[in-house]
Amino acid sequence: MNPALELDNLTKSFGKTEIIRGVDLSIGKGERHAIIGPNGAGKSTLFNLITGRFPQTGGSIRLHGADLAGKAPFEINRMGLSRSFQITNIFPKMTVFENVRCSLLWSMGYRYNFWSMVGRSRALTDSADEILDQINLTARRDLPAGVLSYAEQRALEIGITIAGGADVIMLDEPTAGMSHSETDYIVDLIRVVTEGKTLVMVEHDMGVVFGLADQISVLVYGEIIATGTPEAVRANPKVQEAYLGEALEAH
Amino acid sequence: MDLILVNLIDGLVTGLLLFMLSAGLTLIFSMMGVLNFAHASFYMLGAYFAFQISLYLGFWMGLLIAPLAVGVMGAGVERYGLRRVHQYGHVPELIFTFGLALLIEELVQFIWGKNQMPYSTPEILQFTAFSIAGNSIPAYKIFMIFISIAIFIGLLYVLTRTRVGMIIQAALTYPKTVEALGHNVPLIFMGVFGVGTALAGVAGVIAGPVLGTFPGMAFVLGSIVFVTIVIGGLGSLWGALVASLLIGWITTFSKAYNLRMEDVLTGLGFTKPEPIWDSAWRDLWSITSPQIADILPYILMVLILIFRPYGLFGKRDA
Amino acid sequence: MSDQLSTDPTKPAQRMRAGSMTIPLMPWVLGAALLAVLPFIFTANSAITIMNQMAITIIFALAYNMLLGQGGMLSFGHAVYAGVGGFACVHIMNMDDFFAAIPLPVLPIFGGLMGMGLATIVGSFSTRKAGTVFAMISLGVGELIAACSVIIVAFFGGEEGVSGDRTYGLPFFGVEFLQQIDVYYLIAVWLMISAALMYLYSRTPLGRMANAVRDNPERAEFLGYSARWVRFYSFVASGFFAGIAGALFAINYEILTEENLNTTQSGIILLVTFLGGVGFFFGPILGAIVFTLVQTVLSLQTELWGFYLGIIFVLTVMFFPGGLAGLIMMHVPAMRLGKLGRLGVPYVKTLGAGLIGCLGAAALIEMTFHVRHASTGDHEMTVYWTTFDSHTVLPWVLAIGATLVGFGIARKTAPALAEAWNDANTPDGTAQ
Repeated sequence: MNPALELDNLTKSFGKTEIIRGVDLSIGKGERHAIIGPNGAGKSTLFNLITGRFPQTGGSIRLHGADLAGKAPFEINRMGLSRSFQITNIFPKMTVFENVRCSLLWSMGYRYNFWSMVGRSRALTDSADEILDQINLTARRDLPAGVLSYAEQRALEIGITIAGGADVIMLDEPTAGMSHSETDYIVDLIRVVTEGKTLVMVEHDMGVVFGLADQISVLVYGEIIATGTPEAVRANPKVQEAYLGEALEAH
Repeated sequence: MDLILVNLIDGLVTGLLLFMLSAGLTLIFSMMGVLNFAHASFYMLGAYFAFQISLYLGFWMGLLIAPLAVGVMGAGVERYGLRRVHQYGHVPELIFTFGLALLIEELVQFIWGKNQMPYSTPEILQFTAFSIAGNSIPAYKIFMIFISIAIFIGLLYVLTRTRVGMIIQAALTYPKTVEALGHNVPLIFMGVFGVGTALAGVAGVIAGPVLGTFPGMAFVLGSIVFVTIVIGGLGSLWGALVASLLIGWITTFSKAYNLRMEDVLTGLGFTKPEPIWDSAWRDLWSITSPQIADILPYILMVLILIFRPYGLFGKRDA
Repeated sequence: MSDQLSTDPTKPAQRMRAGSMTIPLMPWVLGAALLAVLPFIFTANSAITIMNQMAITIIFALAYNMLLGQGGMLSFGHAVYAGVGGFACVHIMNMDDFFAAIPLPVLPIFGGLMGMGLATIVGSFSTRKAGTVFAMISLGVGELIAACSVIIVAFFGGEEGVSGDRTYGLPFFGVEFLQQIDVYYLIAVWLMISAALMYLYSRTPLGRMANAVRDNPERAEFLGYSARWVRFYSFVASGFFAGIAGALFAINYEILTEENLNTTQSGIILLVTFLGGVGFFFGPILGAIVFTLVQTVLSLQTELWGFYLGIIFVLTVMFFPGGLAGLIMMHVPAMRLGKLGRLGVPYVKTLGAGLIGCLGAAALIEMTFHVRHASTGDHEMTVYWTTFDSHTVLPWVLAIGATLVGFGIARKTAPALAEAWNDANTPDGTAQ
């Protein structure tokens, strides 16, 4: 069986600067995989490469065995990979419900359909409401998304990401800028909505990482220096030296 | 050969004139992300102001004062109009400048009426600079070339060699960072807008006597200027220069040489359908190059957009 | 391997009526009824002419708003698609045998298809990017096609344009469309059909995604949609309805010229749509009605109509980017609270005074214009149905006085209006 996501000697340069320097990574189906590393290690770049936002310089990315080279974000999304953004990236002028409904359209087979009314499909409305229920935003259903609180927008961001039913979910710092209670809430939410799916996340909050992930990779200066279970990574001397020690102390 | 030289000079004059407009436009665009639809209107204001001033103080004072007045107006538009609209996004900004272009045209008609103004070249420049095979080159053309090149060099110097230029270049890419470093970015924006429109004003002052000072002059040149910066690549100063010269020469040469489509098609081995006036292709067969000279820039733009969407020198997306 | 080809089991087979999502029928029934009875209220020929013009503008403005309001695409050359649709229809009118075989009311479909065809070609490269780049391309292409009209004489008829005769078509249930009133009903029916279709379009998956792409194209791409194709389809659909508007123009006026294609025409439709309000479906309808009426009235009264229009437009962009529709919808919260009535008196005070100020300023502008541009010795002018000598002092004093007093009072009463506004928008019983 193919792993869900497989990176092989992936590189990315901006001009002469090599940001990702040969990353090999294999993420199995159903795994919850966290990528950690100090600031500037290339975590977000790695995310952008996998999701097709930037083209890679060298190496390959495979999703369920299929090569993603040269694919546009929307093509990758259709292959079953969905992502969230570090900076909240929603449709601010549309209602919360519309945000979720739009995220469902492609996966529910509507595509570029211009002959059926979205409001007439019970299945669509129900699915959207179900997701609103999951992310606890039912009460906010008909408000423009732009007026929600920060934590609510983050929840909506996750709702939009999972709505399409992708089986590989990538979350870019889902708890960035959140208070403790908000973080707890989001972590629970992530755990529920990614049940049975492959989860790849970048996260700074070690509490979140060790609470959610069953595999951790440590990215330092564009290279993965260790991959393994949380215990193994915690015990790895290279990791402690490079990054984790200070971070754990600080935590 | 001599005729080619004459046309080269004519094309250069047109091209440099276009460049004075497109340079300001592209600078404003790359800085603020705003395409100033009213840019050519400031060019028109330059001509009208200079005409009005020249009635009392003569051409040279007009050349000095009119661009300043236009620049101040431009800065005012940025400060009190554009900055307000900025919060709504780029599309409303564009619509705002579009409305401004309409308004300025109406304003000019309100003040000066619909007729062409008797604005002419200064007497001191009304002589023939030199002749090439019987074609006299007026001194005013040489003067136009001189002014445009001087402005280009000045612009290049300011942008690449001075502190202000450095800050502007930095603000192009990282406005937030520049602001965090303590520079007054809104002021820089206002300044760039003012200078850009003043450049358009200069172009108006020196073009007014040759191309005519009338309410439609902004409209005539306006869309060509947009085409120029699209061809050159939005935000690229070098692109603007190359595209301006390219358009200047293409239009001049196609007007000067009567190239007929009939000859081209026959040369390619097609036979002319007879009788021609009854054929659906009659318009194609009767096209001549002077006839299509003015739409060549648009055709060039469409081709560029299809094959090189970012323009000749463009790097950045809008 | 692509899931594009496989059939999706979740695709809704049963279309159930979702109660809260049904389309309100009432405004449509009222609109249709109004269109039906209007000619009985305004029977004059000139009134019918204005209404025809209005209806055509409504369709065109709605088509334009599919791009601007719903898709966030600003076009400076949209007249081209309407114009080409119109030209095609005039040519069909001139094809004797073919035209004799089709009834006139079907003709707009051909116009629509022509507009759509052109939009398909242009859209294939112009919709790659939104925003400024799209706007520039639309301008360039618009100029190109408008300029072609004097070169491609076979299709555009050069300077004098192309004319036809609508009455040569196959009679439609005995109607040969000789009368203006026949044409009115033809246009009215097409108005209802087009408006309904465009409204329904905005409720389809593609219509919803057009909004999503407008708000955040990048996010839409990460949801499986290509922003470019969404824009392309919006563009093509808009081209279709613009073509229908052009066809109706051809039927109504029986002549098309370069003026139907050029940038001025494209600018006007932008103006109409924006003044009406791009944020709501009914905005462009409102814009077209008000614009046509005001244009008809004002352009007869003053040479400076374009000047006033420019001022109004710039002020709208600066202070009321929602347009007329936005202004109206601003009052919905107060209405829901049942406190709309509290705005009445402050409105009369401030806006009434403001109106007097505007009238005074307009008089000043007219007088200045007259003094500057009237032929020498011509001192007599008429403003507001009053004839006077523009070189005497009294009218100036009056005009300046009205301007100052009007704006002065408006300024003074503005804080009271703002207070009333806050009050009307705050539910009773809450603090603040």
